[in-house]
Amino acid sequence: MENIYKPDAMEVLEVTQETADVKRVRIWFRDPEKAAEFKFNIGQFGLYSVFGVGESTFNICCSNSKKYIEFCFRKTGRVTERMWDVEPGDTIGFRGPYGNSYPMKEWEGKNLVFVAGGIAMPPIRCAIQYALENREKYGKITIVYGARTVGDLVCKSELDEWAKYPNVDVLKTVDPGGETPDWDGRVGFVPTVLGEAGVSGDNSVALVVGPPIMIKFSLPVLEKSGFSDDAIFTSLENRMKCGLGKCGRCNCGSVYVCKEGPVFTLADMKELPDDF
Amino acid sequence: MENQLRNAIRKLLEEKTVDVAIGYGRVGVGGAVGAVFVTDPSEVDRLVWNAECRQNLAVHLSRPEVKALGKPAIVVKGCDARAVVVLANEGQIDRENVVVVGVVCEGIQGADASGVATGTLLDKCVTCVEHAAQNVDILIGDAAKAAELDAANAPNAKTAGKQAKLAALLQKTPEERFQYWRDEFSRCVRCHACRQSCPLCYCNRCVADKNRPTRIDTSATLKGNFAWNILRAFHLAGRCVGCGACSAACPAGIDLDLLNLTLANAADEQFGYVAGKELGAAPLIGTYAENDKEEFIR
Amino acid sequence: MSQVVTLEQLKKLAADKLSAGARVVAPVVDGGLVSFKEISDAAQATFAPQVRVQNSIKEFFFPKHEVIFTFVRKGNDVEVIDAPDFEDDQIIIGARPCDAAALPILDPLFGWDYQDRFFQQRRAKTTVVTFACKETDAHCFCSAVDGGPDNQAGSDAMLFDLGDGSFEVRTFTDKGAALFAGIATESDKTGSACAPPTCDFDVEKVAVWITENFGSPEWEKLSLRCVGCGACAYVCPTCHCFDIVDEGSYSKGQRVKNWDACQAGMFTLHASGHNPRSTQGKRQRQRLTHKFSIYPGKFGPYLCTGCGNCSRSCGASFGVRPALETLNADVVQNQED
Repeated sequence: MENIYKPDAMEVLEVTQETADVKRVRIWFRDPEKAAEFKFNIGQFGLYSVFGVGESTFNICCSNSKKYIEFCFRKTGRVTERMWDVEPGDTIGFRGPYGNSYPMKEWEGKNLVFVAGGIAMPPIRCAIQYALENREKYGKITIVYGARTVGDLVCKSELDEWAKYPNVDVLKTVDPGGETPDWDGRVGFVPTVLGEAGVSGDNSVALVVGPPIMIKFSLPVLEKSGFSDDAIFTSLENRMKCGLGKCGRCNCGSVYVCKEGPVFTLADMKELPDDF
Repeated sequence: MENQLRNAIRKLLEEKTVDVAIGYGRVGVGGAVGAVFVTDPSEVDRLVWNAECRQNLAVHLSRPEVKALGKPAIVVKGCDARAVVVLANEGQIDRENVVVVGVVCEGIQGADASGVATGTLLDKCVTCVEHAAQNVDILIGDAAKAAELDAANAPNAKTAGKQAKLAALLQKTPEERFQYWRDEFSRCVRCHACRQSCPLCYCNRCVADKNRPTRIDTSATLKGNFAWNILRAFHLAGRCVGCGACSAACPAGIDLDLLNLTLANAADEQFGYVAGKELGAAPLIGTYAENDKEEFIR
Repeated sequence: MSQVVTLEQLKKLAADKLSAGARVVAPVVDGGLVSFKEISDAAQATFAPQVRVQNSIKEFFFPKHEVIFTFVRKGNDVEVIDAPDFEDDQIIIGARPCDAAALPILDPLFGWDYQDRFFQQRRAKTTVVTFACKETDAHCFCSAVDGGPDNQAGSDAMLFDLGDGSFEVRTFTDKGAALFAGIATESDKTGSACAPPTCDFDVEKVAVWITENFGSPEWEKLSLRCVGCGACAYVCPTCHCFDIVDEGSYSKGQRVKNWDACQAGMFTLHASGHNPRSTQGKRQRQRLTHKFSIYPGKFGPYLCTGCGNCSRSCGASFGVRPALETLNADVVQNQED
């Protein structure tokens, strides 16, 4: 009988350092059968292992048209400290995909507004990549992304690539004081820049992921622009271990973030008890 | 004596000398005794004092949820009072900011598996020579009676009760002793009730919780359990006051007291040190005295 | 007509099963307590009546420590070696109805979309023989959560002490019948269980309060004396939270799952330092909400069999029954007045 806790062995294909303490790792199944049958939906997450050290939970931060998957992590604790040292050719573990996903099909025909702060770009990056790969299916795309300083921006080069797509507005920003002399983006907090982006809730959805303070101030801007609670989405994170609904750790009241999340609408969030 | 206690606490609360009184009350199943936190002077009747007041309430002095209630008064037996002294000596509490209400305790009774009092005193009470709590701000009860009980126990204080149990264990060969502890630790589930009930286990990040690197396996295997229980005993050397809260809290009935007593005896024999006897005494392990023995240093 | 076995026959059954290579679990006197343990000799078992055994039989379906897989690093590659299937027959003799009732309660969780074979294989290979209760104590409250001293849920067979060294045996499943086939003899004696325990609170009403009052300050007040160990969760037949941890080294080791408790301070601690459940009140709220609101909402039954192990083990004289009684007295009654 299958062992649901057993990860697959993955080859590390590429490692990109995004900031002083954030890396993006590209991996793929060593077993070609597993590689052939693997599928995931945009917004799902996985558990990534450094064998002998432990397992951590990260979003799959790329779209699902590729022969690889990627995850982004900040060097913070026991597992990520060792994950920091992986190099192409190494083996790490992966199990997934788990959780629910962004309703990319339901979003077809709509304008998409992506709002991210700091290390929260990766959970949105998968949706951006998918939307750009299927450009004709979506309306105007607005990306508002900021971090404390230029050095904290993740996926910097991709931001400029995304801006080249038709009908895509990329507003990149850093907090006041975080700019460098050659910074060519805006200076201002994400919610402020969002307010200048000219988005409208008319036939639009917004995906907002970031630190609580950023979300707190971004929501009123979206609400004023006409977004209903059902049209604002986010990806939550909570401490996880099994990722599949058994270990009893990630629940927020009766909602298990690993099973009924991590994707929630603002309407869902308002129902959630203060348990995250 | 209960009335005396309630009156004393009522006065402290009414005069706002303290914000909360940590004492014993009938709060558990079938009226089992546990900690109560009285903030309203009209509720002092919740406080009780009897031979079932087993817990060492000093553990609550380090808990943020209790600290949030304000300046405490705390009800302590003789053994518990020494824990308060150790906490003060180790800088965990400001002794001036706690009102210590000591009681004259005539001994605590054991309980059966259903929590019903058995009528026989606990092992530690058989050798107790501090029936009146020391280093207190207020003493409730008959100090003369306490002195009598101390005198009665004094001749056997180092040989009866738990000391007798430890002596019997030490008579065995090392292989037999090791097997004893293998059997005991096979039941340990690493719930850490011992640590959470101990007033002196107040570290914000216990060594067992550290994982960079992992010093003690978190698994409830013999390896992890030996490491955990023995390390905890060592971390309590010269600090444990023998209140027995750990053994009482252990759901698997492991007599952790025996480990702690071994080291407490060593502290007494080698350094003449008894934890919590003297307010202001320097911690044993943290201090070098010029007349410390050196023959074990090579 | 009833079926009856003697104590001697029970012990012989245990011995025969041991010889046949099965695992046999029974109550054992150990360290001044009675605990369920795997025995290696039928003489170790004690079937003398006692209200409850210190632990639950949960650990024979969901061990306190279990290897998920082992691994060996070979150059750049890692060989992941699956943990073996559970293939032994396992017989538990001497459980209580409140132990056995936990098993069908836990089944839906371990089969919720992902099949946990560690639990399910043991369930399939285990026969559970319970003793109907002859007495209860103040901690028991099985009757308040749809249980009782002779509740059949989860039992393959139940033994009723006849007081004369023999037991009436009632079998409820094929496994139970197969176990006692050819052993039990016909009789006209029948046994009975004791009266159910009494409680003066209505669990349903308290459960409704729990569901509707997540933000109440009552939670902190209720939990003040709880020191945040895990004793209650570990002796509980239904608590199933676990931790996943790697042991060994970078080159060779294993991943294990171990029991964990939502009462521990670091249970929900994020790597960032944020802790959603940073006070004991929030952690106790989680435990009680999980048992009486979340689990029944998702799967049907309360995540509690009323065995009383938690309050018996609790060094702070807390536990589910005291919590329910306090909530009932402080808030549910006040709401009704």
